Amino acid sequence: MTDLLFPPLSTQRPDAEGVVTRWFVPDGEHVTAGQLVAEVQVDKVDAEVDAPADGLLRVVVAVDGIAHQGDVIGRVEPD
Amino acid sequence: MTTTTPTVPQGTTNLEPGVRRGLYRTMVLIRTYEEAIRREYYADKGPGFDIGKGLVPGEMHLSAGQEPVAAGLCAHLTADDAVTATHRPHHLAIAHGVDMNAMTAEIFGRETGLGRGRGGHMHLFDPATHFSCSGIIAEGYPAALGQAFAFQRKGSDRIAVAVTGEGAANQGAFHESLNLAALWHLPVVFVVEDNDWGISVPRSASTSVPSNADRAAAYGIPGILVEDNAVEGVWSAAKDAIGRARSGGGPSLIEVHTLRLWGHFEGDAQGYRTDLAGVEGRDPLPAYRATLEADGVLVPGAADTIAREASERVESAIAAAKAAPLPDPAHATDYVFA
Amino acid sequence: MTTTQESMAAAAHGTHRLTTAKAIAEGIALEMRGDPSVVYLGEDVGAYGGIFGATGGLLDEFGPTRIIDTPISETAFIGLGIGAAVEGMRPIVEVMFTDFMGVCLDQIYNHMAKIHYESGGNVSVPMVITMAAGGGYSDAEQHSQCLWGTLAHLPGMKVVAPSNPYDAKGLMISAIRDEGPVVFVFHKGVMGLAWMARNDRAVSDVPDEAYTVPIGKAAVAREGTDVTVVTISRSVHHALDVAEKLDGEASVEVLDLRSLVPLDRTAILASVAKTGRLVVVDEDYHSFGMSGEVVATVVDVDPKLLHAPAIRVANPDTPVPYARTLEQTILPMPERIEAAVRRVLAG
Repeated sequence: MTDLLFPPLSTQRPDAEGVVTRWFVPDGEHVTAGQLVAEVQVDKVDAEVDAPADGLLRVVVAVDGIAHQGDVIGRVEPD
Repeated sequence: MTTTTPTVPQGTTNLEPGVRRGLYRTMVLIRTYEEAIRREYYADKGPGFDIGKGLVPGEMHLSAGQEPVAAGLCAHLTADDAVTATHRPHHLAIAHGVDMNAMTAEIFGRETGLGRGRGGHMHLFDPATHFSCSGIIAEGYPAALGQAFAFQRKGSDRIAVAVTGEGAANQGAFHESLNLAALWHLPVVFVVEDNDWGISVPRSASTSVPSNADRAAAYGIPGILVEDNAVEGVWSAAKDAIGRARSGGGPSLIEVHTLRLWGHFEGDAQGYRTDLAGVEGRDPLPAYRATLEADGVLVPGAADTIAREASERVESAIAAAKAAPLPDPAHATDYVFA
Repeated sequence: MTTTQESMAAAAHGTHRLTTAKAIAEGIALEMRGDPSVVYLGEDVGAYGGIFGATGGLLDEFGPTRIIDTPISETAFIGLGIGAAVEGMRPIVEVMFTDFMGVCLDQIYNHMAKIHYESGGNVSVPMVITMAAGGGYSDAEQHSQCLWGTLAHLPGMKVVAPSNPYDAKGLMISAIRDEGPVVFVFHKGVMGLAWMARNDRAVSDVPDEAYTVPIGKAAVAREGTDVTVVTISRSVHHALDVAEKLDGEASVEVLDLRSLVPLDRTAILASVAKTGRLVVVDEDYHSFGMSGEVVATVVDVDPKLLHAPAIRVANPDTPVPYARTLEQTILPMPERIEAAVRRVLAG
């Protein structure tokens, strides 16, 4: 099981709230390491989130869900 | 970084005699051509003057008086170097080696012309010599940047020369191009032909500085002013600027104070022109001939031979153009897309 | 003429989900990997990745000699693209907003688009101009225009405007490979940008490999029998929303033109011949543009194909206002499209 973390986007405001803006892969689908799985945003900066490992994606924070930088937004389980 | 270089006065240079004869020969060929085109242009416009009539209809902008710019500049170029020119392109096309038959056929609107008759005298495109021209003032500068950009990326020492008139130096494209060429260190030489007149508007009424060579400093590039329409002055300035571009030294600007011997366009009565009385006396060709004959570079009879050869070449091109087929109207919409 | 769904289903093996912006960047990257003469120039296209994301990630892969930030000198750098293309390169040059084409229009329509014709076919200009278009997020008069009607009106350049990631990637690859100039217009609202209102039609499956979508061919985005809605770009999404809403009441065919030049007149005529009723949706100005051209396409051939007058849903001949209440009235939003569909069915 590997955690998918909300990436650090703001060094000036490490505690800033962000939002998960898009999941490219639905919950339960297989992903490969490095595959684009999500997009997140803090203020006006957005970033891509890639799968950290092969496996099945589990969505923890849904689209429009609030998260902080470093929070777990998803997991990749061995399939 | 600006240098306003006083011209090396004619008759006191160290140019090889062969080079000087070559410059004269090029200028004579250009003048002979322009005189012949002028003759052909007016031959069938009458009665009066109907611009749309005749074998060479439309506008005609001839370069008589500006031969020194083309001759001095193109002496340092090869067919692999690009030249972008203006609505007044013939001298540069000839000096750069554009095929005279194809160019003339284009001016006569024939299927065998450079553009199959689609472009005419202001839109001469010759891929073989990377020559192009355009009727929109100053807009040939940016394309030259692109050609230089491509040459630079191939690792060659090929360059692009972009020529405009002095009126163009007040257009946005001129300033954008100088900035970008300087910023990206492109192998371009910018040439401004100051013939005093933007159609009917003298430079003093259009330009905020005494010379566009002074504007070069604003973009961080060398600026050279060649006075007196001196072909050998152009030759020297071009040698420096072209050498600089070829060796990775970036762009320069040369302004040549040249002479528009005739009107802006053929049919221009030039009623506005206050310097008309002195124009014939400033004709660069008789002056250069006299200099070369005095220096023994042109022996007695040589000038006549050169004139005769030029005439034969030009008349042959014109005869071939007149005999060439007109474009077929059924194909009028061909070539819109590649 | 294929349905977008068919294309996507056929390509389902070896696909991944992308936004339109990322699909465009991927198309560019694939071509750049294969052809060193492809370069991308424009303002903020490097580290920023393009204001609307069209070059996201490209600087990292290709470096600053191929993804090139320019000064604010559109005339100079569009012209530079022309000169480079004439000398054998395949440059992609970005005008940040279609609204900005005024400052460089001469290079576009008098030079890029005309050189091939003026030279009797002897000189080719294989370049792409990308432009962002469209409103709906209060960017007002000078930053919300589409202007593809103006571009399409001027001879010598192909004009494409994809509505979805699949078409965007395929059309970009086609545009780069085209031997002549192609203007590639991407509506900001189809890009799937995180900082604009979410649009689920801006994300879809895209084949992993390089593929082309033909320039000049429309796609039936949704089949129907009662009325044809001809449209392009962001308005395709609105038309599909309306068609889905009316499902059961009316069978609405949505034709996504994908290209304006060449215009797929065959597809327009085939669809109208089938349904007999035409609504054209165009986010460009109403008069003298795309919507009139689509109607003329039918009327030029056979007005009797139309069982009711064609209805055009376009921006009125009015600048796009700032205030949201005004802007939402000006743009061809779903409410206006639905009203037009109902009216043409009743007429």
